[in-house]
Amino acid sequence: MFDWSVITQNAHLFAWGLVVTLEYTVITCVLGLIVGLLIALVQLSPLKALRIIGMLFVEFFRNVPLLVWLLWSYYALPIFAGINISKQAAGILALSLYGGAYYAEILRAGIQSLDHGQADAAKALGMRSWQAMRRIILPQALRQMVPPLAGQTIIQMKNTTLLSVLTVPDLLYQASYVSSFTYRPMEVYTVVGLIFLAVLIPSNYLARRLEMRRH
Amino acid sequence: MTRLPADAPALVEVRQVRKCYGSHEVLRGIDLTVYPGEVVALLGSSGSGKTTLLRCVNLLEQPTSGRIVVDGSAIFDRAPDGRDNARISGREVAAMRSRVGMVFQQFNLFPHMNVLANVMEGPRTVLGEDDATNRARAMDLLAKVGMAEFANRMPGRLSGGQKQRVSIARALNMRPSLMLFDEPTSALDPELVGEVLNTMITLAREGMTMLVVTHELGFALEVATRVVFLDQGAICAQGTPQEVLLHPTNERVRAFVNRFHATAELMRPLLQT
Repeated sequence: MFDWSVITQNAHLFAWGLVVTLEYTVITCVLGLIVGLLIALVQLSPLKALRIIGMLFVEFFRNVPLLVWLLWSYYALPIFAGINISKQAAGILALSLYGGAYYAEILRAGIQSLDHGQADAAKALGMRSWQAMRRIILPQALRQMVPPLAGQTIIQMKNTTLLSVLTVPDLLYQASYVSSFTYRPMEVYTVVGLIFLAVLIPSNYLARRLEMRRH
Repeated sequence: MTRLPADAPALVEVRQVRKCYGSHEVLRGIDLTVYPGEVVALLGSSGSGKTTLLRCVNLLEQPTSGRIVVDGSAIFDRAPDGRDNARISGREVAAMRSRVGMVFQQFNLFPHMNVLANVMEGPRTVLGEDDATNRARAMDLLAKVGMAEFANRMPGRLSGGQKQRVSIARALNMRPSLMLFDEPTSALDPELVGEVLNTMITLAREGMTMLVVTHELGFALEVATRVVFLDQGAICAQGTPQEVLLHPTNERVRAFVNRFHATAELMRPLLQT
């Protein structure tokens, strides 16, 4: 039933696709974390106007389907903003902002859940709020947030498959390409699924190990 | 004996400080002056506003109105109508706090740093002091509070009394001119109270200016130079501990003291040394 030769003959395409997928995962996770941290801090700001901006950002990205937002950044953004955006840039922008909204919620919740006494103690020593954030609050909050952040990062990796609609040559795009000339979609997509499992199950396991070390 | 040298400038001046949470008035126009070298015990039943008053002194709590001067600089000044009489920057407030040490009921040690790093954190981050000087002084302070051998421990592995002694060392490492204590022994098991009180007694005898919210009447009686008694957000009695606690004229104070009589007896052995 299965003809694995289509896989072995096109292994280089799958390998390249995996590299592209991992590349986009790493880039959009790092950018997403930076965006998320900024938005989280904005949401915790004493200024109401900033808090509203942060809230609108999060609500926007959490309520627009990623696929819609991805296509919109690639096709509509150049028309509205008059900027010529490459498919790579559109993909990175869309995924980073989308992931950033989710990271922001995790970071905000983590920072808020920290005992107020910690901020009191930092302030009482004479720290400015950014010093307290950097030295006292974030190091503790980040440690608590490792499991949810790891979970969101895994989702982010799976979300990169949507980049194939922008013809970014990720793993899924390569798979549809291979299946278009081999006519063996069953083998091809089975392998894509297996590759994701092979990468993500160990990552999940690692995240859980980190979580257990906390308790 | 109260030390009230009329010519010495006050270290803390609290004038007509009010604090409201919604319609609930926690502080109703407090006036309090603390002079250098004084050990002032703030007493009162829970809900009397003593902790709020203490937290107003270093602005961890923002009063609704009133004026607060610490170490010569006004750090809060707001008219009863809510208008600010002076614009005070976050930088000035932080600078004031760096000269005022604070010890919390729940210790609030930084759990991600070991004992030595906790004590070094203030001078390192706030004053940008070099590690060598900072470490040497921190180790001296840890020795002073009897915690030198625990310098490399994480706070999670200390007893409550040990944590509180470290937190006193952490505050002292900023070389404050004033120390605020917010019920420093209330979260401790009874057998650990003594070690923290001993540390505070040493500090008081060295002449540190201290403002102490406490339920330890024995400490107030033997160590405080002045006792201030709060009831429902107002000062209802103040004076020497002997006047206020041993010969209370105020009905509230009398009821309060009767409830705590036993504590003074527990303190005696500590003070013989």
